[in-house]
Amino acid sequence: MNDVPDFVLFLGRFHPLVVHLPIGFLIFAFVLEILGRKKKYNVITAATPLALLLGFLSAVVACILGYMLSLSGDYEEAALDNHFWFGVFTSAIALIAWLISIEKIKLPKKNKVKANISVLTLIVILLSITGHYGANLTHGSDYLTKYFPFGKKDTSKELVKVEKVEDAVVFNHLVQPILEDKCISCHSKSKKKGGLSFQDSLSIAKGGKHGATVIAGKALESEMIKRVLLDPEHEDFMPPEGKTPLTEEEIAILTYWIDNVHANHTSTVASVETPENVLHIASSMLGLKGGAHGGHHGSTSDVVLPKATAANPSTLEDIKAEGFTIRELVFDSNLFEVVLPPYTKKPGDDLNAKLEKLSKIKDNIIWLYIENNNLNDDHLKTISSFKNLQKLVINRNGNITDNGIATIENLNSLNSLNVYGNSKLSKASLDTFSKINTLKNVYASGTGITQKDIEVLNKKDLNIVL
Amino acid sequence: MCDHHDRLKSNNKDLQSVEKQLDRRHFLKKTSLGIGALALGSLLNTEKAWSSIGNSDNAAVNAFTRNKLGLPHHLPKAKRIIYLFQSGGPSQLDLFDYKPKLVDMYGKDLPKSIMKGQRLTGMSGSQSTLPVAPSIFNFKQYGESRAWVSELMPYTAEIVDDLCFMKGMQTDQINHTPAITFFQTGHQLPGRPSMGSWLSYGLGSDNENLPTFITLVSKNGKGQPLKASLWGNGFLPTEHQGVQFRSGKDPVLYLNNPDNYDGTDRKKMLEYLGDLNSIQHDAYGDPEIQARMSQYEMAFRMQTSIPEVTDTSDEPEHIFDLYGKDSRDPGTYAANCLMARKLLEKGVKFVQLYHQGWDQHIGCPNGVKFKAKQTDQATAALIKDLKQRGMLDDTLVIWGGEFGRTVYSQGQLTKTNYGRDHHPKAFTMWMAGAGVKPGFTYGETDDFSYNVTKDPVHVHDFHATLLHLFGIDHERLTFKHQGRRYRLTDVHGHVVKDLLT
Repeated sequence: MNDVPDFVLFLGRFHPLVVHLPIGFLIFAFVLEILGRKKKYNVITAATPLALLLGFLSAVVACILGYMLSLSGDYEEAALDNHFWFGVFTSAIALIAWLISIEKIKLPKKNKVKANISVLTLIVILLSITGHYGANLTHGSDYLTKYFPFGKKDTSKELVKVEKVEDAVVFNHLVQPILEDKCISCHSKSKKKGGLSFQDSLSIAKGGKHGATVIAGKALESEMIKRVLLDPEHEDFMPPEGKTPLTEEEIAILTYWIDNVHANHTSTVASVETPENVLHIASSMLGLKGGAHGGHHGSTSDVVLPKATAANPSTLEDIKAEGFTIRELVFDSNLFEVVLPPYTKKPGDDLNAKLEKLSKIKDNIIWLYIENNNLNDDHLKTISSFKNLQKLVINRNGNITDNGIATIENLNSLNSLNVYGNSKLSKASLDTFSKINTLKNVYASGTGITQKDIEVLNKKDLNIVL
Repeated sequence: MCDHHDRLKSNNKDLQSVEKQLDRRHFLKKTSLGIGALALGSLLNTEKAWSSIGNSDNAAVNAFTRNKLGLPHHLPKAKRIIYLFQSGGPSQLDLFDYKPKLVDMYGKDLPKSIMKGQRLTGMSGSQSTLPVAPSIFNFKQYGESRAWVSELMPYTAEIVDDLCFMKGMQTDQINHTPAITFFQTGHQLPGRPSMGSWLSYGLGSDNENLPTFITLVSKNGKGQPLKASLWGNGFLPTEHQGVQFRSGKDPVLYLNNPDNYDGTDRKKMLEYLGDLNSIQHDAYGDPEIQARMSQYEMAFRMQTSIPEVTDTSDEPEHIFDLYGKDSRDPGTYAANCLMARKLLEKGVKFVQLYHQGWDQHIGCPNGVKFKAKQTDQATAALIKDLKQRGMLDDTLVIWGGEFGRTVYSQGQLTKTNYGRDHHPKAFTMWMAGAGVKPGFTYGETDDFSYNVTKDPVHVHDFHATLLHLFGIDHERLTFKHQGRRYRLTDVHGHVVKDLLT
C-alpha cells in the first residue's frame, strides 16, 4: 500500500469534506422540484438544472477523492465496495436527472413532471444509502443504532455479571470495554486505520502496519501502550486529536493485561498476579464496591454500604421541617446521616410523629443522632425498624430502659451505639448488645452498667466504654 | 467549578451595558468562546450541573441534601475535629521520642554522618560545636501499647492506648511563620485557604447558628505571634474563614445589646439592610456582598447561640476537676479545651486551639516542663471526656506543633540545662479518635531523633490523611483560582493508610 503517493492520500482525505456538496446540491434540487409543484413557487424550478449539474459535478469529484482515500487500505473491502459502487451509481443517476431536466433526454410530455420527481426521489434514496455506507466506514457500523431508543438491545454480546472482582475475565470484563469505548471506532473490521483492528483476538494478535500492537509480557514495548503514553502533542499519539484520550486507570488496566495476563483472552483476575491498585480500578469499573476484600494491607476495613433507593424530595422536605438535619454521607449514595439537634422537642411536640415521618426514609439512614431529646422505649421501637443503621447515638435520654434497648437487637448492621448518660440502663442491656453481632463499640458511661458487668460478659470483639 | 465570575450578572438592565464594558475578562471570554457557549453556560446553573452527576431521577433530591461539590467521595470516619496546635515546636526529645543511647553521647559533637550537610538556622548555624544534649527527663512505657512518654506528661501517659503517635513527621520549613503557614494551609506563603476553611467549603455547616470553623488562642501567649491568615479562607468564599474567639470572659464581643435598646426591631433592621445589600449585589455582583450578608445573619443568630455555648456554668464539678483548675479561668488552654468540647457538641465542625510558647531555644528543660504543665492535664482530659461521651467515635483530635527540635544544644550545654533549635526533619505528633488506630505508634527516627528511618509522614501526607478521614479524596477537592485548580495538598500528598482503622 505504501506505493500510493502521499499527495494522493492527502487529496483523498478531502473526500469526507467534499462529499457533502453533492448531498446538498442534489437534495436541494429535490426540494426545488417539490416546491415547484405549487403554483405560487413554480418559477423556482428554473434552478433545478443548475442544482443537478452542480450536484453531478461535485459527486464526480467526491467519487474520485473517495477512490484516492480508499487506496490507503484502512477500510474493510466489502463495505468499501458497497459504498464505492453506490457512489458511482448515484453520480450516474444525477447525470441522467440533469439530462432529463434540460430535456436532452426527452420523455413523453405528459410524464415529464412525474419523471423528474421520481428520478430525484431515487437520487435521495441512493444518497441516503451511500451516505450510510460511508458513515459506517468512518464511525463503525453500530454508531447510528447504538442509542436507538426502541429496538431490542443486542444481548448476545452482553457479559455475565460478576459478583466478585476476582471472577472477572480480564479481557472480556476489563479490556474489551476500554477498546470498544476508545479504540474500535477507528480500529475495527470495517475501518482498519493503520491496518489495525481490535475486533477479535486474531486481529489484535496480528497487529497493525506499524509494529506489534501487543507483545505479551512487555507492555512498554507494545505499540498499543507506547502510543497512548506519548506526549499528547505527538503525531503518533493515540487516540488522535479530537478524540477522548485514555484515562490513567484505563492505561493501567491495559498495561496489566499485557504484562500480567500476557495478553490472553481467558484468564480471570484471580488466576494472575494482580496489584492492589488494579484491583481497585477493576472493582470500580465493574461497579463493585470496596474492591476485593480491602486489598493486601489488611488494614482498611471497608464498610459495606447498603443499597438504597432515592428518597422522595418532598418527604425529605417534610422531615427537615420537623427539625431534622439530613446529610448525604457518600455522594449519590442516597445514604444519610440524620441528626435531631438536642432539645429540639418543644412542649407539645410529638416525637412519635416526628419519627413516623422519619421512618419514611428509614432504609436511607445509616447514622442517626437523637441526643438529649426525651427519647423513650416506644420511640426506640420505631427506630428498631431502621434496619440499615450503622451508628445510633441516643445519649442523655434518661427515659430509655433496658426494655427499650431490647427492641433494637434486630438492627443487624449496627456497629456503634452511644447510650451515654441513660441512667436507667443496667447490665440487662449487655445481653442485647452481645446479640447484635455487628456491634463493635458501645459508649455506656453514665449508665447502670459497671466494669464488673463487662468483665462477666467477657466478649472480646465488643468494646464497651465506660 | 465555583467560578464566581461566571455568575456575576446584574438583574438591572441599565447596569448591564455598563457591566459589559467594565469586565475585560468577560469580554475576552465571550469573544474567544463564542456567544453560543456563553449562552449555554448561563442556562446551566451550577446546582443543576452538579445534580446531573448522579442518577437523573435523583435530581430533585439533590437540591438540599446533596453536596454541591460531589462530596463526600467515600464514607467518612470523622464528623468533626479538634486540632490542639502547640505553637513554637515542642521538643519531641523531651516528650515522646525516647533516645536512651544519647546518654553516652553527652556533649559530643553531632556526627556529620547524621546531619548529612543539613542547613541549620542562623541561630545555631554559626556554633563551633553542636553538642549532643540527651533529655534530662525520665521516660517510661505506658498502657497496653507500651508507648514511651516522659515524666513531663503524666496525664497523657494515662491515655496512650487511645493515641496514634506519628514519630516520623516531616516538614519543609525551618522557621515559625512559614512552617505554621505550611501546616495550616499546605503552602509556606500566606494566602492559601486553611484546612478548616477547606473542610467548611467542602462539607458545609452542621449548625447554622454557629460558625463551622472556630479558632481559640490561649490567653497571655508569649512567643511567636499567630495571625489570622492561619485560619484564613484564602481564595475560598469569605464565609469559610475561621472565626477567632477572644480568650477571656466574652469570647465574642458586642453580642449584647447596648443599654436602652431591647433588640426587638433588630430583625427588621437586618432585613432592610439585607434588601439594601441585595440591590448593591444586583448592581455589582460582588460575592463579598453575599458573604457580608450571610455574616450579618450569622452574627444575629450568634447573639443567642454564643452565650449558650460559652456558658460553662452548667458543667458539673467533676468535669472541671478532670480538666484541671485552669479550666475555671476563661481563656486558658484548659478552659479552651472544655469550650472546644462544648462547641463540638453543638455541631461546630472544626475547632482549632493554639497554645504558644513551645520555642525553647534556651532553657529547654524548664520551658518544656512549664508548657507541658499548662497543657498536659487538659489535653488528656479532653480525650477522656470525648471518649466517655462516645464522641471520640467520630471526632478526630490532633496534637502537634509546626516542627520539632534539635538533638544538639543551642548555646551552652550543662548537666541540667540546654537549648534546642528548630528541627524540621523529624518530630512527633499524635492523633486520636475517628478512624485512626488507637494505641499505635507509626514511624521511627534514628538514635539522634534527627532523621526518619522508617515510615515518614510529610505534612502533605498528613493533610491527605486528614481529608480522607472526612470522606474526601484530597486530589478531588479543588478550587479554581487565577486560572488553575488548587488543593490543600497542591500536587503532593498520599493518604497514610497504615494509620487508619
